[in-house]
Formats: sequence, structure tokens, C-alpha cells
Amino acid sequence: MRNLYVYILAGAAVLALVTADQFNPYWMHVAIIAMYYGILASSWSLLAGYVGLFSLSHMAFAAIGAYTSALLIKWFGIPIPLGMVAGIAMCCVLGGGIGWVCLRMSGPYLAIFTLGFSEIVRITIATEDGVTSGMAGLHTDPLFPAAATRLPYFYTAFALLAVSLLLMGLLVRSRWGLFLRAIREDEQAAAASGVAVARFRILAFAIASGFAGLAGGFYAHYIPIITPSMGDLNEMAKLVVMTVVGGMERLPTAVGGAFFVEFLLEKLRDLSGIHWQISILGREFDIQNLDQWRLPLFGVILLFTMRFARNGLLTPFWLRFIRLGEARKSVPPALPQEKSSEA
Amino acid sequence: MSERVEIVRGRAITKRFGGIVANNDVDFVVCEGDLIGLIGPNGSGKTTLINMLTGHLEPDGGEVVVRGRRLNGAAAHIYAGMGVARTFQLTQLFGRMTVLENLLVPGLTRPHSTRDEVTRRARSYLAFLNLSHVEQLDAKNLSGGQQKLLELGRCLMLEPAVLFLDEPFAGVHPRLRDELILRIQELHGQGRTFVVVDHDMESILRLSKRLVVMARGTKIADGPPAVVRTDQTVLAAYAGL
Repeated sequence: MRNLYVYILAGAAVLALVTADQFNPYWMHVAIIAMYYGILASSWSLLAGYVGLFSLSHMAFAAIGAYTSALLIKWFGIPIPLGMVAGIAMCCVLGGGIGWVCLRMSGPYLAIFTLGFSEIVRITIATEDGVTSGMAGLHTDPLFPAAATRLPYFYTAFALLAVSLLLMGLLVRSRWGLFLRAIREDEQAAAASGVAVARFRILAFAIASGFAGLAGGFYAHYIPIITPSMGDLNEMAKLVVMTVVGGMERLPTAVGGAFFVEFLLEKLRDLSGIHWQISILGREFDIQNLDQWRLPLFGVILLFTMRFARNGLLTPFWLRFIRLGEARKSVPPALPQEKSSEA
Repeated sequence: MSERVEIVRGRAITKRFGGIVANNDVDFVVCEGDLIGLIGPNGSGKTTLINMLTGHLEPDGGEVVVRGRRLNGAAAHIYAGMGVARTFQLTQLFGRMTVLENLLVPGLTRPHSTRDEVTRRARSYLAFLNLSHVEQLDAKNLSGGQQKLLELGRCLMLEPAVLFLDEPFAGVHPRLRDELILRIQELHGQGRTFVVVDHDMESILRLSKRLVVMARGTKIADGPPAVVRTDQTVLAAYAGL
């Protein structure tokens, strides 16, 4: 049966949607945040994995999307969805602008440039107290003010992630997706093949930043307060870990990485109750707060991935999963023996 | 005799890298149906000239005209769109894409192309180049000779007016080199125009109908191979005789 994995994924999605009201509120919140990161990880994978543009300003675009939406709603009282659309548009324009400025940059130069942009955004938001409320945080309007539970947010995050994946999936499977991968492999050869390299690099920046803006806009109206730290380097590092650990050259593995890291981070909080006493060379060590070690643990996982599984930890599982139900190639039957000429 | 149609013309082309003059006032014309061999010692400016005639470098002086349109400063993809295809001195493929995908990329950049039609055309070129059996392999896994063939196939997918081949025989096994020569001759017989740069004199003399020789950034000879190979300036500059 071909495409069995699609039916399994669709079945799992339906099951999650139907039983969502049974979820523990805490884990539902974790799932919503994981979906927020899922949009960011998949869109960053589009930029870094498919086109090879290792930008470190992706979380800054999430912050730009969030603040644009929140401020426009605060100042002009526009509806929240319109505010989110404005955030996306702002990110597309700024992302395209960054893509244009960085046309001749790649590798570490691009990373450092985008890191600089990200810091400018964060510091501007933190400094402009009068506009953004600075480090105190900007209070935002909730997407569902009357909601008694997080269920509407869960469904919304689910829909946004699904639509984002669908659109990005269509893009990477189209001829444009082929051109983007060609640019990643060799810009000069892509240009010699007729690919408008500059145009597609700018487009990739604009599209990926637009999705970051969408995620940021949703976050702004889910969490009732946004701070400049949502676009800081720590958040960017977390996003890189999610995407790389999952597998940055495929959208589903990037999303899987976001879920894996987010859920594991929360699960490892349980370690806070564990208390160890160990003795080394006659000295007693009292180890508490093991949950504080969960962040270095992800650093170790990242190092392990880069050393032993550059395509991501989830990629081999994903590749097996998408081949589920496919008939195994049978060994071709042996050719009949040629009859000898004497026969 | 009917007048031949000019495809690419480089007029008084000059290119400097710092204090070094890579090309100095070079005129170079490619007409429909040409099969030009471009030779010269290392550092004579052959690749620089090709880079400028295909849009990968902008000349400091002079102009590049493609089908009557001045294209100085235009991006390389504009040249490709106007039928100027090229391969590279060191093979440049899309390594982590399949052999078939390598051919789909140029095919799909053509206006009004459809995936089905381009895939069909790509498969026919793969068959022509004896690469059908590796269609689903990543390009980086091919042998050196197969990579050269694939690069030629990628050019052909543009349905180009002219193909500039930069050192297509370098590092290629003699058997594959002969296959490559055979394919170029076959394509030329079908009306394709080629400019072939190489150091392999035997192959170039076997192939070309017109020979251009460069030395120290200037063109020192241009004519039929039989004439050029006996030219005293060429012998002095190229062979040190």
C-alpha cells in the first residue's frame, strides 16, 4: 500500500483533535508551544536546510511578527487576525530586505550578519520602553478572550502548523523547491542552469521570515505578555537544536525535533525532585536540582547529532516511516540458462 | 554563401585582477554551427574569457553581445536563458541531488516547461549519455567521467544555442574521453554550436573546426586547425619552439 504513512499521520492527527479535550492542561500548553516551535523549526529548515542560508535572525522575525501585531492592535484596535497578517507582511518585507543585503554572503559571514540584526531587534525592543514596554513586557490581547480552556488555542496552533507545513511542503516539492536546493548545492552552477539565484535567495528569506512572523503573531495572542527575550540568542539556539536534532533537511523531521526537544525539556523537569549523594576520592558531593542539567544535556545531544547523525536523529526513522507499506523490491528471477548451440 | 548568424560576440574584452591583466582587448565571435577549440598555456586567460562570455564575470572593458543584445553586467542566468550554456573547469554539479534532478533544474527554468515534458527530455538525454542506470543516484556518487557527462547533459537541458565546455577531458579516463568526443561530434552533427577549452591537443585537434589560441591574455591566432598548428607565433608561445 503506497502512502500508508499519510493515512497513519492523518489518523493520528484526527485522534489528537478528537481527544484533545481530555488532555491535561499543562501538557496541552506544552503541545501548543511545541506547535509554535514546529512552525519556526520547519520554516528555519526551509531556509537553512533547503537553501543553505544559515540565518540566526529567525527568532528575531518571530519577535517582529509578535510586536507588530500586538502594537497595531493596541494603537488602532484592528482585529487580531488582521494584526497577525500585518505581522507576517512586515516580516516578509524585512526578511526580503535582509535577503537582499546578504546576497553575497554565506556560511559564517551570513550567520554573523543575521546575528547582528537579531541583536539590533532585541535591543531596540528592550530600549524603546515607551512603545514596547521594554523588558517589563507588552500586554497583548488574547486570541480567544472568552475561552475557559486552552482547547481553542490548541486547535488554532494545530491548524496553523498544518497549513504552514502544507504550504511549505508544496513549495519544496515544486520547481521552486528544486531551484532552492540547487542554490544550496552550488550557486554558480545554479545560475549557469538558468536559476535566478538572487531572486530565489531573497524569496526564501521573505517566505521563511513570513512563517516566523506567523508563529510570533500567534504566540503574542496566546501568551498574554511578550518580552524582547522571545527573539534573543538563547531562543535561537534552542531553535537550532530542535531543527538540527530532528533533521534540518526535511520539514517533518524539523517539526519532530521541535516536539522531541520541547516535550523532553518539560519531562526532564521531573528530575528536580531527585537528590543524589556521591562520593569521589573520599569527598562527598550533594547533587540537587538535577533538572538544571537538562539544558546542558541538549547541548550534548546536539554535539552527538553533529558528530554521528548529521542528517538529524529523527531522519532515519522518518525515512523508514514513509516507506511503510511499500512492497519490498523482490530479487529479480534468474535469467534462464542459454541453450548451448549444440542442443 | 549565406552569412552565418552570430550568437556570442566579445568585443575588445579586457579583464584585470589587481595588477594582472587576464584578458587584454580580446575579440571573440561564436557563430551558429561553430565547433571552436580554445587553447593556450596555463594562465593565458581562456577560462576568464569564458567566464565573461557566459556572464560569470563582468568585463572591465569592452562588451559582450548575445544575439545582438549587449549583456555586460547581466546575471549569469540571463545568459543561460538566452541559450548560452557552460560547464566548469572543476565539475560543479548539485552533489546531493539525484542525477535526474540535476537535469530537471535547467529544464524547469525554461518558460512554459512542464514537469512531465522536462522529465521525458531529461531521460532521453540520460539515455544518450549512457547515464540512465544511475538516474536515481546522488550526483556526488558518480565517477569523474560520468560527472563530466552529466554536466554536459545539464547544459543540453537548456536547449542552448552555444555550449562552452571548460576542460571537459581533464582527468577523464581515455575510454570516457572518447565517448565524450563522440557525443560532442554527434551533437555538433545535429547542429549544436560548441566552444571547447582544453589542454588535450589531440582531442582538440580531433574535434575542432576552428582553433583559437591565447597567450598572456591576448588572442594570438584564430583559424582552421591545420593553419593555426603551423603558425610560428603559436608554436613559439604555446610549445616554446
